[in-house]
Amino acid sequence: MTPPPRLRPIDFARITSRSFYLQALFAPERQQGPGFAFALVPALRRLHSDALEQGRALARHMGFFGTHPVLSGYVLGVVARLEERRAQGEPIDDARIEEAKRSLASPLAALGDPLFWVTLRPLAGLAGILGLALLPLAGPIGPDLRVLVCPLLALLTYNAVALNYRVAGVTRGYEMADEPGKLLHSLQLAPLRALFGRVSAFLFGFLIVLTLVPMMESADPAGQGAAHTAQVLMPFGLAWLGTVLVLKRWPGRSVELALAAALVALVVSTRV
Amino acid sequence: MLSELLRVALLGGLLAVDRAAGWNLMLGQPLVGACLAGALLNPGPEWELWALRIPLGVGVLLQLLLTDPSLPAAQKPRDVATAGVIGASVAILSLERLHPYLSLTTGGIVWVLVGTIAGLLASVAGGWMEATMRFSHQIAARRAEELVLEGKVSAFERLYWRGVARLFLRGATWSAAATVAGVAAAAMLLPHMARLTGPRAGLVFAAILGVALGAGYHTHVRTPKHGLRWAVLGALAALVVLLRVKAKGP
Repeated sequence: MTPPPRLRPIDFARITSRSFYLQALFAPERQQGPGFAFALVPALRRLHSDALEQGRALARHMGFFGTHPVLSGYVLGVVARLEERRAQGEPIDDARIEEAKRSLASPLAALGDPLFWVTLRPLAGLAGILGLALLPLAGPIGPDLRVLVCPLLALLTYNAVALNYRVAGVTRGYEMADEPGKLLHSLQLAPLRALFGRVSAFLFGFLIVLTLVPMMESADPAGQGAAHTAQVLMPFGLAWLGTVLVLKRWPGRSVELALAAALVALVVSTRV
Repeated sequence: MLSELLRVALLGGLLAVDRAAGWNLMLGQPLVGACLAGALLNPGPEWELWALRIPLGVGVLLQLLLTDPSLPAAQKPRDVATAGVIGASVAILSLERLHPYLSLTTGGIVWVLVGTIAGLLASVAGGWMEATMRFSHQIAARRAEELVLEGKVSAFERLYWRGVARLFLRGATWSAAATVAGVAAAAMLLPHMARLTGPRAGLVFAAILGVALGAGYHTHVRTPKHGLRWAVLGALAALVVLLRVKAKGP
């Protein structure tokens, strides 16, 4: 008698590596569905020896699927565990697997998008920008190392958090397949978002001062007074205020605003 | 220029895969893309100072301008990944070729402006192209389902890898083509804008910097809960640090 099929650590590693390509065939109709099936191939190959059986199992995962890509490993782990049990003969039907997938994918998307896209990614970019303001310029000899340090700061800030979730996802999902609620709670996504939001605002306040102080100093090198400084800084101030007001009403228009501001400033500059 | 374009294409392709295929390692952010492009296109020791600082300036402005704090479904389609590469590449390649027409006395501000505007325009056009890619993905996904139902799992995997290759090629061709178009546009326009140097460039730069920091305020202060409170604390901390540094003297 052949032993019941069991997933091995190498299968988890393969699923994890494939989860990095989750969105390659992203389309509105199925979103990450084909990517989910693609990531699950190593598990289904281990669990089913027959090609048609593998195909049938894969087809169940080709439909609509949408979650946060960084957290997809947890859903993959849970589904791999359920598929394994099914292959071992436990009475687990398609509906149970689909329900487990959906019950985890939606909350992970709802918690993951605000954490990674809305908070952590901007924070990481800000960390890189702060590197520019804080690190000294290169001396007369040698290159300006900020060109390497700034992107590195951004990459490290983001990946120190995101890679942690990506690497651990499949195994944790597999181990906690029967306790999705506990699994979700253990990820601490909401508290992390609140923390990163505060850090992000704090660092932006820091950046504003580091930008404004040298600007004010260089605006009046001859010591002509506050009125002169205000006049020099007026284009900057007007653009800043206009952007803050417009984005409150119409968010996501910063590209159009920047191009319009450049055009207006160009026209004004040729007439002054 | 061919070898430079090949490097731009390779970088643009990799960053497009990072953004669109699901790596999401932050490589596709404008700051990272612009700095990598600057390091790859360094035209030699005589330009080293500018070749490194200009991409950094382009990357910082694009990073602030292209960071949208809305949820992905509510965002406008913008190709953020290749925008940094294209902006920095246009700035560096134009600097190398057009410097006799525009001086560097303004600290390279003009070239930062050229790169930033090129990057912004590229992000909008690239976003439209990304949207059209979704149709080809939809067709490929239907074919994938047919293959899977026939039990052809290896054929499904090959089809999927072709999808990844398509993303790479789109990013690569778009980066190279947009860079050529940007340098050509700069070659046509900049010689007629010699008066832009000096205070005039400073005015345009100040306006774009104002918009960038306004967008940054929207992202980092308005979006998080109690953001203003924390931003004020950050500003006070920076003031304390600056005062202490100044008190110590040079």
